Amino acid sequence: MVSKEVEKLLLKVQKPGRYVGGELNEVIKDKKDVDVRFAFCFPDTYEVGMSHLGMKILYSQFNEVPYIWCERVFAPWIDMEEEMRRHNIPLYALESGDPVSDFDFIGFTLQYELSYTNMLNMLKLSNVPIKSCDRRELRQIVAAGGPCACNPEPIADFVDLFFIGEGEEVDLEVIELFRKCREQNKTKEEFLTLCARIEGVYVPSLYDVEYNDDGTISGYTPKNGAPAVIHKRLIKDMNTSYYPDNFVVPLVEIVHDRAVQEIFRGCIRGCRFCQAGFIYRPVREKSPDVINAQCKALCENTGYDEVSLSSLSSSDYSQIVPLLDKLNEWSKDERASISLPSLRVDGFTDDIMNKIKTVRKSGLTFAPEAGNQRMRDVINKNVREDELLQTCATAFEGGWTTVKLYFMIGLPTETLDDVADIANLGQAVVDTYYKCPNKPKGKSVRVTVSASSFVPKPFTPFQWEPQDTIPRLHEKQQHIKESIKTRKIQFNYHDADTSYLEAVFARGDRKLCRAMELACERGFHFDGWNDCFSLDKWLEIFDECGIDPAFYANRRRSFDEVLPWDHIDYGVTKDYLIKECKKAYENTTTPHCRLKCNNCGAARYGEGVCFEKRKSMV
Amino acid sequence: MKNVRVWFKKDYECRYISHLDLNRCMLRALHKSKLPIWHTEGFNPHPFATFPLPLSLGFRGLNECMDIRLEDENYSFEEIISKLNECLPRGICVFGVTEPVMKAGKVAYADFTIRLGDEATSSRIVCEQLNKLLSFDKIEIEKHTKKGIKTADIKPGIKSWSLEEKFDFAELNVILAAGSSDNVNPNLIITALEKYFGKAYDADITRNELYDSEMNLFR
Repeated sequence: MVSKEVEKLLLKVQKPGRYVGGELNEVIKDKKDVDVRFAFCFPDTYEVGMSHLGMKILYSQFNEVPYIWCERVFAPWIDMEEEMRRHNIPLYALESGDPVSDFDFIGFTLQYELSYTNMLNMLKLSNVPIKSCDRRELRQIVAAGGPCACNPEPIADFVDLFFIGEGEEVDLEVIELFRKCREQNKTKEEFLTLCARIEGVYVPSLYDVEYNDDGTISGYTPKNGAPAVIHKRLIKDMNTSYYPDNFVVPLVEIVHDRAVQEIFRGCIRGCRFCQAGFIYRPVREKSPDVINAQCKALCENTGYDEVSLSSLSSSDYSQIVPLLDKLNEWSKDERASISLPSLRVDGFTDDIMNKIKTVRKSGLTFAPEAGNQRMRDVINKNVREDELLQTCATAFEGGWTTVKLYFMIGLPTETLDDVADIANLGQAVVDTYYKCPNKPKGKSVRVTVSASSFVPKPFTPFQWEPQDTIPRLHEKQQHIKESIKTRKIQFNYHDADTSYLEAVFARGDRKLCRAMELACERGFHFDGWNDCFSLDKWLEIFDECGIDPAFYANRRRSFDEVLPWDHIDYGVTKDYLIKECKKAYENTTTPHCRLKCNNCGAARYGEGVCFEKRKSMV
Repeated sequence: MKNVRVWFKKDYECRYISHLDLNRCMLRALHKSKLPIWHTEGFNPHPFATFPLPLSLGFRGLNECMDIRLEDENYSFEEIISKLNECLPRGICVFGVTEPVMKAGKVAYADFTIRLGDEATSSRIVCEQLNKLLSFDKIEIEKHTKKGIKTADIKPGIKSWSLEEKFDFAELNVILAAGSSDNVNPNLIITALEKYFGKAYDADITRNELYDSEMNLFR
């Protein structure tokens, strides 16, 4: 629903279809019939946000509750933002067209650190005070969840409460508590104090932080009965947990324009750089029957002819072949195709390849992450070079001629020789192509090598590691470039400046809040987009605030330092992370969860892969 | 196998989606409806649907059409209408299904209702400006084509017009050349108004009907 004022702007901006709502399956309620209005905000564009699975799940789930109306809000692109500012139009929700400031909850999902400024900018566009302490009433409760909530400190001054872990249960508990508190005329403080007693809720204003002279943290003191440690929430049984049978189907093309079916949460692998691999533990699968039924319902209700099976590593689904068989029983008649992203190098088997006929011949992507075996052992990637080359050979024989390889540079213990091996591995793939007797006739091979810069993240074994400095990252990028001897390899690398800022935010503390506030005042937005990002402007702000960004990005922490996120618990113990970090220095790998339990701590939830029967035990 | 023409309105939120997005939206609706639509037989089979005359982003369309091919000839038109509407967003509403009388390529003219004005200008002045503009022998504007900027005279493409002064806008009803050979987008009239009178107005444009070269309603 768009107002007359907004309609006047729509023809002046690019892709106005992003700002109007009115899609198939959007939920419209009468605001008189609901008690709680929830603005679900995604701090990026419509096309990015509408592709996000978590938002689809929670949107449908909230709206199934009769007393809640959940609506969607996205960050307007810069042209629309300018028009809205010029005409004094506040940010509005797509369903009702009502201003975000009218809502009881303003909830953000934080998927990447560089969207923090977008979150603040969206509050500003809504004319809602950005700081938590300036919003005094029991309304406009700013809540946030998602993977970045695992270190909430850099945005602790702005967010009233964080959802730690998976949201399906805890979000509704908080909304219900809000409803009761308002009935009883409680204050915002009273509501937040009660909230903090719900497991999985972190209320930053209820904690005082003390610092040491060197700027590190000496401790956290909880107030008003808030818990000393906040434990994450977790859905125990994926088969019975809520999953929508319907998605809002966008009118304009979005990034992932297809139905998405979650097949499991977590990852058995434990790659040491990967935050998702640790914070979503333990692995919990859905049964093939549940997945099959949910896929079918989604296709029928949305009209999409493609379903993507989503997880952190699809080929690790324990019953992947039986599942694909089940899906193939109906998908052909319904003219629907199944796609399987996130395939591991060692998971691309003939069996799977033949069952997903829709894998288009346009390209294949694998992520060896590092160029040689030592480095892959350091990060616990557990992929061998011969496996990669064998997989590429399979693909070449199947008619593919382009392969994309993803790598990271700046990993702990990495030398220039190690990064040169990235170029060498690319060369080995090219050579494999020419050694293939059944390669496509008369065609050349094209190998794309992409190198992103490693950003150490909280709750990983590398959370104590320094990030390589920008000059060092540039040196490594240059070194790979010079080590490539063939034009059959195309080399791309990720801008080191954005990775640096990401590293500052990822392991930042509350002292960064002031910088965030200044950035918001100066109109920073879309830091994740090259169109808008400027490291120089950020460095200016850090300088004004007396913040040394290298303290967060490039400093090695000792194992006994109090980390800004130490009062938050994601199930994996700190001892385990330390053990894993030490193993990395020794180039030693750790077997994945199905081979051996490594006692990471996640077994305490009593569910999932920790209680599967391992083959070695049978 | 039977060809049918589906008639629909494109309005509200759906005014703001491009032809490409409309096409995607229709294909999804056809897929969801499970109607026995003939699919293309290429590498990527999809429901076959063509649009005799695409509608620009931002315009309302009151009598828009899409041609599809049914595999089962015994399907009732009422059933097609209701099934498609169940699968479409509220901005697109199917109101008729017919057997095509004319070939899609026969479209030669389209008539539009254009409401023009802004808060700062009285509708009488807008009417006067439009009156002057449309009475010129030549209306030259710069057209952005694939080969660069070209100057074009849109006057020959304006078949007839009438003006009405309303309370807070001027209403221009105009019949313009439409189709693949000569086509005048009504936005060009607004561009010309801006060029000759230096004023950009808010425009609300509705396409009412399509016609063939003899000005018979396109059916």
